Amino acid sequence: MAEYIVKENALRAFFQALAQERRLLAPVRVGGKLQMAEARPEEVTLDYGNTHQSPKSAFFPQTERLMAFHKDTAQSDPFVYKPLGLDKITPTVLFGLRPCDAQGLAICDQVFQNDRFTDPYWKTKYESSIKIGLACDQPGPACFCTAVGGSPYGEAGLDALAAVKDAGLALKAITEAGAEFLKKLPGLESGAAESELAERRKAVESKMPGPLDQAKVAAGAILDIFNQPHWKDTADRCLNCGTCTFVCPTCHCFDIQDEQNDKGGVRMRNWDTCMSWLYTVHGTGHNPRPTKTERMRQRFLHKLKYIPLKQNGQSGCIGCGRCVTLCPVNIDIREVAKQMNG
Amino acid sequence: MMSLEEISQKIQASAKRLLAEGRAEVVIGYRRGTTPLTVAPHFARTAEDCDQLVWSSFAKINLATYLPKYPGKVALVAKGCDARSAVGQVVENQVLRENLYIIGVACNGMVDVERILAGEPRPAFEATEDQATIKLSGEGWITSLAREEVLRRNCRVCVSRTPSATADEVIGDQTEPLSADDFADLKELAGRSPADKLAYFKGLVKECLRCYACRNACPLCYCPVCFVDETRPQWLGKSQDEMDTFTFHVLRAFHCAGRCTSCGACETACPMDIKLREFNRVLESEVQKDWQYTPGLTWDQKPPLTTYRPDDEAEFIK
Repeated sequence: MAEYIVKENALRAFFQALAQERRLLAPVRVGGKLQMAEARPEEVTLDYGNTHQSPKSAFFPQTERLMAFHKDTAQSDPFVYKPLGLDKITPTVLFGLRPCDAQGLAICDQVFQNDRFTDPYWKTKYESSIKIGLACDQPGPACFCTAVGGSPYGEAGLDALAAVKDAGLALKAITEAGAEFLKKLPGLESGAAESELAERRKAVESKMPGPLDQAKVAAGAILDIFNQPHWKDTADRCLNCGTCTFVCPTCHCFDIQDEQNDKGGVRMRNWDTCMSWLYTVHGTGHNPRPTKTERMRQRFLHKLKYIPLKQNGQSGCIGCGRCVTLCPVNIDIREVAKQMNG
Repeated sequence: MMSLEEISQKIQASAKRLLAEGRAEVVIGYRRGTTPLTVAPHFARTAEDCDQLVWSSFAKINLATYLPKYPGKVALVAKGCDARSAVGQVVENQVLRENLYIIGVACNGMVDVERILAGEPRPAFEATEDQATIKLSGEGWITSLAREEVLRRNCRVCVSRTPSATADEVIGDQTEPLSADDFADLKELAGRSPADKLAYFKGLVKECLRCYACRNACPLCYCPVCFVDETRPQWLGKSQDEMDTFTFHVLRAFHCAGRCTSCGACETACPMDIKLREFNRVLESEVQKDWQYTPGLTWDQKPPLTTYRPDDEAEFIK
């Protein structure tokens, strides 16, 4: 696959070329926080640990209007829901995805399109996008991608991977789509990147945590893990606030809502959270997850048992550390994973 | 000044005594966190559990939040604001006084971790602290911060740093109350046009994710079903619609009027660092002006907005 070097003085031109070709999403400051968002070429930074929120909203917005209808009976089609947005997808390039987040998006992709069904709203956005990763040289105190099968130089879910080199970039294509895209990019200079990336990968990985042993979780019966006594202890301090689910790159649950006024209506989906009482309450009033213990347990089982079961052993947690950092009561998925395997 | 270690040891000793005497089934306090600049709420049920209890400048969550849902006898390690919230819960009949034991701790304020991290972009792998300094270190660097400089905003105007009037015992050197929030900035806000005020408050919650972490961390938000979770009827839209989001925050603030103790748990829990207390401060200042009322300082004071007197001076209520 093609390899390139972008020198420091060519960086601006590189980002301009990206933005010229496609809508550019990259790490930029939004309201004081570093976020993966629409960026002007001059705003893009290479100096960050991880974006505050995960990049999932690029393909799975927190509120997404799926379809709409009107109530004008003078027209032929009143009260008929018509899909929104599927016919005008803007081709997008994401630059600066951390490998952990790219892996997270790949996990969501398996949820939104698989052999059983395809979500057109996800598919049209995800598949048409080019994803360029930026390898991670300074993992933070809550980073543990290497513990859950990833790497700060990981390639899963990426079309190309870059690393900062002499304040510029070393860049290599990973997929055909990535190679094709980079080949057409004006002003990009070929140069050896592969060996540098491989070396640096080893160096950074050696500073990071080793694999988290999940052998017993993988082999264990769901019901046995379900009934482990430690859940109650963790639940003691859980506030069920849902922060973990909102910042998680692989949490993908949603709630469908219809809203209307006198002119028409819209059907939308909004991020939902299994930490919420409302998430599971039935029409009868019965709630199969009546307390915060069941709700908190659900999230960890989903990450560490159900997703691995459905996705060939791939951990549903990609080790970005956002939930660890942002949980107001310091519930640490690394500790819970150890207890589950205990 | 008593060191953090001494305070921690005294908390541990009290906790063991209370468990042994059967005065409490559980002691809710803090233990060391798994990442720098954090502590975790800790539920100590055995003497061994008690050994993990610590006192720290990172104890920013309000532990009283756990009380209303807890059925048994609880001892609460409480800074001034936690104690005020617990008193409020007793006054509002959510917690039985006889089930509650308050281990008051003389508090010198908690630090604003978001602010510390915003000022130090290098990843910190370790944080140590004493009563005067916070030391951060990472790969090949170490830096010291004066604790006073990085206190949370609410801790700078705390009127109850040591809960001496309500706690069952107090640990640490008594700290004097600070001068209360003078709400000076609110006078300027009050002079603005309604449209300007609306824009200001909408702007505050622009980044809101509707996760409701603020509500779940709040010791006042103990409703079995929150109005935003009602479905029959559904009072509020669930999307990121600006007005729905704004309505949630305004209604929550009104529900807390005359009850909020400025503990800052909402801001601490918010993953987007929204300045949620700005909603509450407006109502706090109104309640103080109209009723000269500060919640949670005594056991016998009812929140002004929950009482009714036939001789009320307002016409509309008669």
